[in-house]
Amino acid sequence: MLKDITFGQYFDSKSVIHKADPRVKIVLLIFIIVFIFLAKNFWGLGLSALFILITMLVSKIPLKMYFKNLKAILPILIFTSVINVFYGEGEPLFTIFGKLDVTVGGLERAGFMALRIMLLIIASSTLTYATTPNDLTDAIESLLSPLRFIGLKTAVHTLAMMMTIALRFIPTLVEEAEKIMNAQKARGADLESGNLKEKIKALIPILIPLLFSAVRRAAELADAMECRCYNSGEGKTRMKQLKLHFRDFSITLITLIFGTGVILFNIFM
Amino acid sequence: MSNIIEIKNVTYNYTEDDIEYTAVDDVSLNIEKGSFTVILGHNGSGKSTLAKMMNGLNKPTSGEILVDGMSTANEETELLIKRKVGMVFQNPDNQLVASIVEEDVAFGPENLGLEPKVIRERVDEALKSVGMYEFKDSTPHHLSGGQKQRIAIAGMIAMKLECLILDEPTAMLDPKGRAEIVNTVLRLNKENGMTVVLITHYMEEAENADRVLVMNDGKFIADGTPKEIFKNVALLKSVGLDVPQTTELLYELNNNGIKVPTDVLSIEETAKVIGAFLEEK
Amino acid sequence: MSVLEVKGLSHTYGGNTPFYSDAVSDVSFTVEQGEMIGIIGHTGSGKSTLVQHLNGILKPTSGEIFIDGENIWERPKEIRKIRSKVGLVFQYPEYQLFEETVYADIAFGPKNMGLSGDELKKRVLDTCRLIGVKDEYLQKSPFDLSGGEKRRVAIAGVMAMRPQIIVFDEPTAGLDPKGRQDIIKIINDYRTATNATVIIISHSMEDMAVMADKLLVLSKGEVVMFSETANVFSQGDKLRSIGLNVPIVTRVFDALREQGYDLPNDVFTVDRAVEVLKQIKAGDRNA
Repeated sequence: MLKDITFGQYFDSKSVIHKADPRVKIVLLIFIIVFIFLAKNFWGLGLSALFILITMLVSKIPLKMYFKNLKAILPILIFTSVINVFYGEGEPLFTIFGKLDVTVGGLERAGFMALRIMLLIIASSTLTYATTPNDLTDAIESLLSPLRFIGLKTAVHTLAMMMTIALRFIPTLVEEAEKIMNAQKARGADLESGNLKEKIKALIPILIPLLFSAVRRAAELADAMECRCYNSGEGKTRMKQLKLHFRDFSITLITLIFGTGVILFNIFM
Repeated sequence: MSNIIEIKNVTYNYTEDDIEYTAVDDVSLNIEKGSFTVILGHNGSGKSTLAKMMNGLNKPTSGEILVDGMSTANEETELLIKRKVGMVFQNPDNQLVASIVEEDVAFGPENLGLEPKVIRERVDEALKSVGMYEFKDSTPHHLSGGQKQRIAIAGMIAMKLECLILDEPTAMLDPKGRAEIVNTVLRLNKENGMTVVLITHYMEEAENADRVLVMNDGKFIADGTPKEIFKNVALLKSVGLDVPQTTELLYELNNNGIKVPTDVLSIEETAKVIGAFLEEK
Repeated sequence: MSVLEVKGLSHTYGGNTPFYSDAVSDVSFTVEQGEMIGIIGHTGSGKSTLVQHLNGILKPTSGEIFIDGENIWERPKEIRKIRSKVGLVFQYPEYQLFEETVYADIAFGPKNMGLSGDELKKRVLDTCRLIGVKDEYLQKSPFDLSGGEKRRVAIAGVMAMRPQIIVFDEPTAGLDPKGRQDIIKIINDYRTATNATVIIISHSMEDMAVMADKLLVLSKGEVVMFSETANVFSQGDKLRSIGLNVPIVTRVFDALREQGYDLPNDVFTVDRAVEVLKQIKAGDRNA
């Protein structure tokens, strides 16, 4: 259902990962992704897998939530694996279709790629499951704030304001879209059958009212923001200040230890 | 008592399809500090246009509006005026900015550049004063219309305004939501001394006002205490206003030769008036 | 045969959306041809969910809906056919207008039903005449009309499908008194002209007292009462226990009866109240 996308992916299981500073979480996710890509052998990737398994357990997010995300990328996963199977070098184990060789190297490579993609997805899922969209927005604004030194202050603020408003209005507009869709169905509109062209044409009775509504809402919101002394972020302060805690340093340290491990495996194994 | 808003011979014209219309026609009005004023009028009577001029969202075509002595036409005092006079609109969905209640209420004070600690205090206080403190971590999307409207009011209170203008805040709400808003507004006026201008087409919402004005075709056609205004049911009905069923009943009784006073609103008072008629026989 | 029969209808929303409490459970009722039914209940009592089942927008989790004795989900592929039999006017229907002209927008529904040419034109024009959409509006953009007129056009768009049952979800919400009276008149005119069955969701007990033959009272998704309007409004305490109330004029008369005045307990409208008091006055003079 359309509604599912609106609550973001947040799953409130109140773990230490949930409580961590969202800025730290974003930066660490980038680290983790880099380390996963750096891992050259199964030792390094195995360590990554172990590390990510631990974060999964610590996050207390049900495993089936992760499977949901993995299922969504299953086609990509299969496609990448199949391609890689045939690109291995060495003695063919067997040959299919008369010319495609399947080798041990190929199978290894396919497994390696599949595991890597899975780890990337799980790591990113942990961030989105354990961080509210609002926190993510705040963190992105905060992380981008150095851009003000190169004269992009308003741009950073505008971007953050846009993300905030989008988060606020996506559920409203999704609900509205559903309502309009139902209203047009009640007038006998056929949204399901027909070829692609007909299906696109059938969207017009939904998109036009939705567009009008969005414009109307935007105009009213602009008035309301003006009444609340909005001044393009000039001199704006924030009620909620992001503050680093001991736990943020701890999880950073743990992540860095894991990264060092990956590098060591790359060198010595 | 001094005036927070002075409206002097204000006219507002707008053009649509090359035809010029007059939404507000040479209107003058003073809003006293601490008062509760209700402006009644049907859709298109000019009441919303007038409301939007009171804090400078719209600028008069001619005439002048002073907020605490500052003209709304002066761009330099624009922000100062908005710090004194706030507005709540009809559609509760379209005035909330953030997807967490307390962050939304903080939006105004944040724009004023207050210290985080001060904002926190004001947000908590504002949410408590509209009875929404327990929802501070909720998402507005999951609240009822009346609750959303109370959040919008809290967002205004948190800016420590002197005057709150509400433009048909109950038009889209169910009866429960309407009662919530009317009670909240009344409490803000009586307990916190907030000046309130309530714009509506529901006559019963004017019951507790200090002063009621009726607007039609861009002009005020009646001005007085609630009792004085409600007496004139014929006038209210003729300009398409909502008359509560108690008033309707007393009005119809008079039309049918049963002489009863029509300036009461509540069920108890109406029963008393009819009781008196029954006693007479 | 009843025109509409709802049997053991339940609808629960998906498990991971705890915010939609608007579910219905085990709802059963039957409606006869030409009746005007009012549905009353709190916000979140399941009213909107219930009516969206009547034309197959929502599919019941369990239970059945019969229109003219036919189970509407008998052939799921043909569910669209039911929508020309049961018209549904959503809340704030003016937000569904999309065509370039008023005419084209009103024609959208009948066109979807398969009408074309002169038949379509006649249907649109007849509907406009019936409910007072002015000729000069037909070539205008619906977005240029006033709020009340937009709603009239949107309702015309559903009425042009000539449904034999027409359902309104709070048709007068957000309108001023003049706009409300206009919409109530449209509904009555359609009913008189087509003998259609009408179902209205409303928050106004006063409107329901005047309009509805029967009231379906919902609370927390369940039917609390389904009976003649007078019967429902004579059970004030039961209504109050679920956060509803009787019309204001009834409350005035209840208060008077409590004070010991001998008054009838069937006063639900201003007209009836005036009639009762006039009789007392006349009787008094005769005595």
